[in-house]
Amino acid sequence: MKSTLLAGALLAFATATSVHAQAIKLANVAELSGGGATVGTNWKNGIDLAIEEINAKGGVLGRKLEVSHADSQSNPGVARAQVQKALDAEPYVLLGPGYSGSVKVTAPLAAEAGIAQIMGGEAAELTQAGNKFLFRTSFGQQSSMPKVAKYIHDEMKAKTVAVVWVNNDFGRGGRDVVVKELDRLGSKVVADLSTEAGQADFAADVGKIKAANPDAVFVYLNEEESARILKELKRQGVTAPLMGETTLIGQKVIELAGDAANGARGHVGLTTDAPVDLIKAFREKFSKKYNYVPDHNGLKGYLAVYMVKATTEKMGKVDPKKFAETLHGLTIKAADEPGILMDVTFSDTGDIDRQSFLVEVVEGKQVVKQVLPKVK
Amino acid sequence: MISFGKPLKIALGLIVIAGLIIVPMNFNRYGLFILSQWAVMTIAAMGLNLTLGYAGQVSLAQGAFVGIGAYAAAIMTTHGWPLPAAIVVAIVLSFAVGWVLGYPALRVQHHYLAFVTLAFSTLAFLVFRNESWLTGGIYGISNIPRPHIFGFATNKPLPFYYVCLGSLAIVSLAVWWLIRSPWGRAFMALRENPLRAQSLGIDTRRYTLMAFAIGSALGGIAGALYAPLTQYIDPVPFNLSLSLDLLMMVIVGGAGFYFGPFLGAMIAVLLPEWLRFTEGYYLMLYAVAVMLLLIWSPTGILGILDRYLAERRTKAASALRAVAKSRLETVQ
Repeated sequence: MKSTLLAGALLAFATATSVHAQAIKLANVAELSGGGATVGTNWKNGIDLAIEEINAKGGVLGRKLEVSHADSQSNPGVARAQVQKALDAEPYVLLGPGYSGSVKVTAPLAAEAGIAQIMGGEAAELTQAGNKFLFRTSFGQQSSMPKVAKYIHDEMKAKTVAVVWVNNDFGRGGRDVVVKELDRLGSKVVADLSTEAGQADFAADVGKIKAANPDAVFVYLNEEESARILKELKRQGVTAPLMGETTLIGQKVIELAGDAANGARGHVGLTTDAPVDLIKAFREKFSKKYNYVPDHNGLKGYLAVYMVKATTEKMGKVDPKKFAETLHGLTIKAADEPGILMDVTFSDTGDIDRQSFLVEVVEGKQVVKQVLPKVK
Repeated sequence: MISFGKPLKIALGLIVIAGLIIVPMNFNRYGLFILSQWAVMTIAAMGLNLTLGYAGQVSLAQGAFVGIGAYAAAIMTTHGWPLPAAIVVAIVLSFAVGWVLGYPALRVQHHYLAFVTLAFSTLAFLVFRNESWLTGGIYGISNIPRPHIFGFATNKPLPFYYVCLGSLAIVSLAVWWLIRSPWGRAFMALRENPLRAQSLGIDTRRYTLMAFAIGSALGGIAGALYAPLTQYIDPVPFNLSLSLDLLMMVIVGGAGFYFGPFLGAMIAVLLPEWLRFTEGYYLMLYAVAVMLLLIWSPTGILGILDRYLAERRTKAASALRAVAKSRLETVQ
């Protein structure tokens, strides 16, 4: 009797562990509190949504996905500790963080462990150090800013440009690339203004722009600050055309800035406003589940999980060591894997290539003026 | 009582030290990182405990000194200098800046002094961020090497933990000696009653500046270890919140108690990690725990122990008195 019980228990234990072993474990480390809480929460919700969808359809290669979330408190030191903890548990793939500084401090750890890291940082230098395990979910600034500079020079025909940027790793990274590109193309930067994150008053900065009298203004600030500077530009009667990136022409900016946003143009790599059916469907699913409209970080988290799915299915097995190798040079088509939303190709450095959009705000609405094709 | 207490205390101390050396050998990288962080933050908190706990000078700038030490170490070691040289520079630099920061403390006290040091903290952050030719600005400094000590590489987490633990041991001994020296007594006199201290011939001016300078130098040492520990620094970790964290460590542990910073750093570094199983609630629970503790005992954890011991001593003394009294009565 006893032995039967024991055997039964053992069998139950064995089944339990084998069921457990079947799940594919992912680890996410993101900015769930601190300055980057919005970034990290969007990213996390995107991941959860994707995993829920995939598991509902039977998982990846018949195995369920499982994810652990850890909070980096938006602090690189804490991010390092949390990534170390995540890697000690030997996940299949590491997701996050979203802040470039935190990516920089954690990328060597993931590379050392031979685990692929799919992250949200956009700083240009992240993928330039030759790390073979680091992958982006969106354009790095080295891909988006040349498109912006080219548009300012070729389409806006601007000979002189004023550049306003927010002084953090996001703003500074973009500013450095765009200034270099403008210089190369022959447009002169006549004003180069750094501003603070959370700045409330842009009167002095706009005054300087006005004094420099440029042919175009490039604005690279966070969303709320973008709205404030748009209002101030209108108030002081600056008529030069305005160009920006994702953050200048987002829905939130249009709501906050009202009329002042009209006429602003921007390059958009990844936005829930993109005129793509799959992205619209994603936006709907996300807002239904979480009761708010995600920003591009929600998309990034969602894509990260589908990158894992597509790559694993391409390999036909779950192999953390070969994962990075397979993802390099891989093209994932939205027709084959709708979760990826748009056709995408990953370069040898882990950078991303896909369509992007040129948007203008017309009467309080985003209008896509051009679809910029994939580079390759 | 005392003859029994002392060996017990020594035995307990030896067990803790042995534990700190042996137990982490089985830890994974994460555990070792957190413990190393505890050692580093304890050093910084000990510095603030000297300034605040012993000399009574409220400083909100300790995080900035950790930053100064970290940048000194990061800049020097990435340019090929050995870490010990960088630590010396960090000490000298923090000591000098701390000395200068001490001057306002000669004129203002308490919350006014807190504001002055808060301004310094912000200033230091702006320097770290904007002087990119030196500090790498917002991009920070990456690939900070870990040192070779007597020919041993400390790249791996365990050897570097021992570097941090060894540094903590050296600093602890130095502070232990300092607070038992006439200096330490002068600091305490300064805290309790500056006027009386002066009337006893203590040069309060010099000791105020010293309290700031030595406390800051310890912050510098902590920073010089923090840089190779994380191997990447940017200005964000050294903003005002680190100074506030360190202040909390000192107060929660028990300001003015020698072991206060050890306990305070444990609570600030380890408690949030232990609470992580509660997922989204861990920071809230942590905040509530700290608040409850401070309501219950404003003098920190060691304050509770102190009160308990004082009570026991009073009780014992009363009992002795009662016995003596009854004996006296019988004799009469």
